Amino acid sequence: MANGLKIAFLGKGGVGKSAIAGTVCRQLARRGHQVLALDVDTVPGLAISVGAPMDEGRLPSGLAEVVEGKRGRRWKMVTGAGAVHLVDRYAIPVADGVRFLALGKLPGGVEPSVSVAFRHVMERFGRRGWVMVADLAAGTRQPMFGWAGFATVRAIVVEPSRKSVLTARRLAPVATHLVVNKVQSEADVEMVTRAVPLSLLGVIPYDESMAEAERQGSAPIDCAPQSAGVEAIAELAGRLEEMS
Amino acid sequence: MRIAVIGKGGVGKTVVSGILARSLAREGWEVIALDCDSNPNLGISLGVGADATERLAAIRQALDAGEAEHAPTVEEMLERFGASGPDGVRLAVVTQIDTPNPG
Repeated sequence: MANGLKIAFLGKGGVGKSAIAGTVCRQLARRGHQVLALDVDTVPGLAISVGAPMDEGRLPSGLAEVVEGKRGRRWKMVTGAGAVHLVDRYAIPVADGVRFLALGKLPGGVEPSVSVAFRHVMERFGRRGWVMVADLAAGTRQPMFGWAGFATVRAIVVEPSRKSVLTARRLAPVATHLVVNKVQSEADVEMVTRAVPLSLLGVIPYDESMAEAERQGSAPIDCAPQSAGVEAIAELAGRLEEMS
Repeated sequence: MRIAVIGKGGVGKTVVSGILARSLAREGWEVIALDCDSNPNLGISLGVGADATERLAAIRQALDAGEAEHAPTVEEMLERFGASGPDGVRLAVVTQIDTPNPG
């Protein structure tokens, strides 16, 4: 069993973090793991790719409060708001038994107490046989502020573009692995691995049916289960499983 | 004329901004391209190249680390921390670059 496996996907916008994270969640669930899918992005992404409803699986406000401590004011979780309890209570079951929890969406923002409680779940949740998979917001902000720190596997998703490689180079100090997406040739993989000195975890081919899934707003594993992209992500899920 | 380009990650904000800047410059406008992303890539789409784009971010980082003084005016900022791109477009990275935060 994949005890303690904790994965975070990072990278530039549009590289395919959500599609890969969502498909990995579903694949690991089908292999018998209990999966907690964490949508940390504040614009739509993982909910669609994992096959979850858009506005559910949220933590309510008020689970954390500001208290006056010896070293000044700080956030504290309220009594009874343990990470395991919060997952049981608020992470909704979606396809293949994956449990889904989202930070929240803009506009409307995310209240500070919700953000604190969500981060608490990320840092503290742990249960035998469970896997955590987080899809972080695009770019460098969240990873640089420690939002990937809970994970043992911090994979940067890169597409063969200079911009996404440049972003990966900035993210490399806080990451552990690379996943190259939308690959059309061996040269695409080389371009990325030459520029970013991290170990290669997966190579996913460019796949028109993955793009079609994005157009439709559906989970790749549901609308294109036989596609080369989904199959490559299944292999990636297998490698992740071996790392636990 | 001041234009801001916004949208979800990966939709093409940077590409649109770069082409807008170059097109307006070719029509005779004096264009200042401001990269307001904390993960700045506009240099690539403007055509200054990946190396120069990385260098600009490094200069900005040095500025944030206090190794260089902040420029008091926009003109001075462009002079010291900006780059000249094709078609006479001038580029500056105006947002603090994200670096690993111990907190």
